[in-house]
Amino acid sequence: MSDFLQSYGFLIVTLIQAGLLGLSLYFPLMAGQLSLASPGFYALGGYVAAIMLTNPAFAGLRDTLGNGIFPLTWLAAGLLCALAGVIVGVPALRLRGIYLALATIAFVEILRVVSLNLSITGGAIGIFGIPQAFGFQDRWQYLLIFGPLLALVLAFTYMLQKSRVGRAFRAIREDELAADAMGVPPTQYKVLAFVIGAVIAGIVGSMSAPFLNTWNAKQGTFDASIAILAFVLIGGSRSMWGPVVGGALLTAVPELLRFLQDWRLVINGLVLVIASLYLPQGIVGALAKLRKSPPPARPPIAPAPDAKGGTL
Amino acid sequence: MELSSFVQNLMNGLAIGSVYAIFALGYTLVFSILGIINFAHGAVFTLGAYFTYTLVVGQFENNGLLKGINLFPDGSPFSGSAVMFGLATILGACAAGAVAVLIERLAFRPMRSRGADPLLALVSSLGVALVIVNLIQLLVGAEIYNFPSDAYGEVRPALSFKIGEKIVIIRTVQLIIFAVSLVMLAVLGYVIGRTKVGKALRAVAESPSTASLLGISVDRFILITFFLSGFLGGLAGTLVGTAFGVAGPYFGVVYGLKGLAVIVLGGLGSIPGAVAGGLVIGLAEAFVPAEYSAYKDAVAFALLFVILLVRPQGLLGRNLIQKV
Repeated sequence: MSDFLQSYGFLIVTLIQAGLLGLSLYFPLMAGQLSLASPGFYALGGYVAAIMLTNPAFAGLRDTLGNGIFPLTWLAAGLLCALAGVIVGVPALRLRGIYLALATIAFVEILRVVSLNLSITGGAIGIFGIPQAFGFQDRWQYLLIFGPLLALVLAFTYMLQKSRVGRAFRAIREDELAADAMGVPPTQYKVLAFVIGAVIAGIVGSMSAPFLNTWNAKQGTFDASIAILAFVLIGGSRSMWGPVVGGALLTAVPELLRFLQDWRLVINGLVLVIASLYLPQGIVGALAKLRKSPPPARPPIAPAPDAKGGTL
Repeated sequence: MELSSFVQNLMNGLAIGSVYAIFALGYTLVFSILGIINFAHGAVFTLGAYFTYTLVVGQFENNGLLKGINLFPDGSPFSGSAVMFGLATILGACAAGAVAVLIERLAFRPMRSRGADPLLALVSSLGVALVIVNLIQLLVGAEIYNFPSDAYGEVRPALSFKIGEKIVIIRTVQLIIFAVSLVMLAVLGYVIGRTKVGKALRAVAESPSTASLLGISVDRFILITFFLSGFLGGLAGTLVGTAFGVAGPYFGVVYGLKGLAVIVLGGLGSIPGAVAGGLVIGLAEAFVPAEYSAYKDAVAFALLFVILLVRPQGLLGRNLIQKV
């Protein structure tokens, strides 16, 4: 068992991390909002933890609290990301669809460039020598904090979906105007969904900084945004299990493809294309369909959706 | 600011801005027809530069599977004269256009015919971008390849003139980029505004189903759109590669992202908007003071964020109407 954890512990933690980031994007999507901001909040949370754990300004706090500093970094990262989520979310959520997605990409990019240039974030080099959480000796021990976080977030998601708030999210996703007319204030709920996602991503970041030992501007990039979107869409965007399954699988695929050596990343790209073509409902959606009897065939949808912005 | 440095910044801004513009036009054309953003466009940009380099130099001597293969052992016919270099550029752009057509056939069309979530197009086009970028890396390595300085024959590398006491230097490449972009914009404007093909394209953009009822083959015009988009992307890639070197498989990524800022700034799906957006962002970057130059890459996104909040439809976009 310990051999297994020795060899695969790191990978398993990475899979859980991916699942959690997928869930952080799933929340805004639950309310029908396509936000790609998760890597930004993930990076922000990581920086909060990295700074609190290495910066001389916090030396006194670290000495007094001992290992208690780690839960405090999670709390600080969560709170700061909630604040940032409100600041970014309130104006950005007036936008919809692709516009919101692009605004959140802008947020991630601005954050990246700023963190590349500030001295407190270590500039281009980043922050080094972040101490291991709770003096963990081995990477697999991070399962002890990431595992419970995943369980907690899943339980929270499950309960939220059954609650009034979850129903409000769904109502907004199906039809924002109708939801508004029925007395569900869309803006508040959209910001709430966005902030929940931000907090989850931030906490994951704050746990990941000690896990990775170092933190730099490469942690929150545009590529990560799309990778996380792929977790959710390929896993299945209509069920809370989708992001978890998608995150774990898509993170495992490059590892499983290691035997392909140099061709690995090429094939990884192909996997994304093929999965989008053949699993349009996501893996969880496809499994759910298998269990139910197939619905009557729908006529093919016209080549282009009506909701687009342009004239030539 | 002194007049000379103002003129210098202005020229730099116009040159890079016009590249942004023609690159972003590729995004906008596809968006206006299909309502999706093709994230593989940045990779097509990169490919364009590599195709042209292949024609002009014929070999990649540093790394990758193609190392040691020389297409033109006796020297490339496309090197050494400005006309032939221009021809290579056009051929490279055409090859990039062909790749874009291939992308539409293999990644986008099957998804449309299945009625998949349009969001999935983002993932699938990113998958295509990953494939292209990593194939380039596999074939020719991640090294920077610079066009040899004699590739375009006897052309002066720079023009300089005096304003007052100060000397302003304009690289010939910048002038060429600016001129080529203007020509491209004029041609595109003519094709879309005045020709039958353009009319059909506009009809498809307005409503694909109505266009097909009127006897326009929608799928064919979607292919034409992708070809134009890839051509413009590949051309922009070659222009940037000529000015700054073909900087590895990832060098299109930055342009891919900035292109997004450009089209949103100008108005998604609007051709004049893409041009205006490109020039605004190019100029804004050029006028960032030297002491803040590290933040230059954030300028485009800051503008994007502000415009989305103030005027979400972009500078020249159509009003967004919320339908019930």
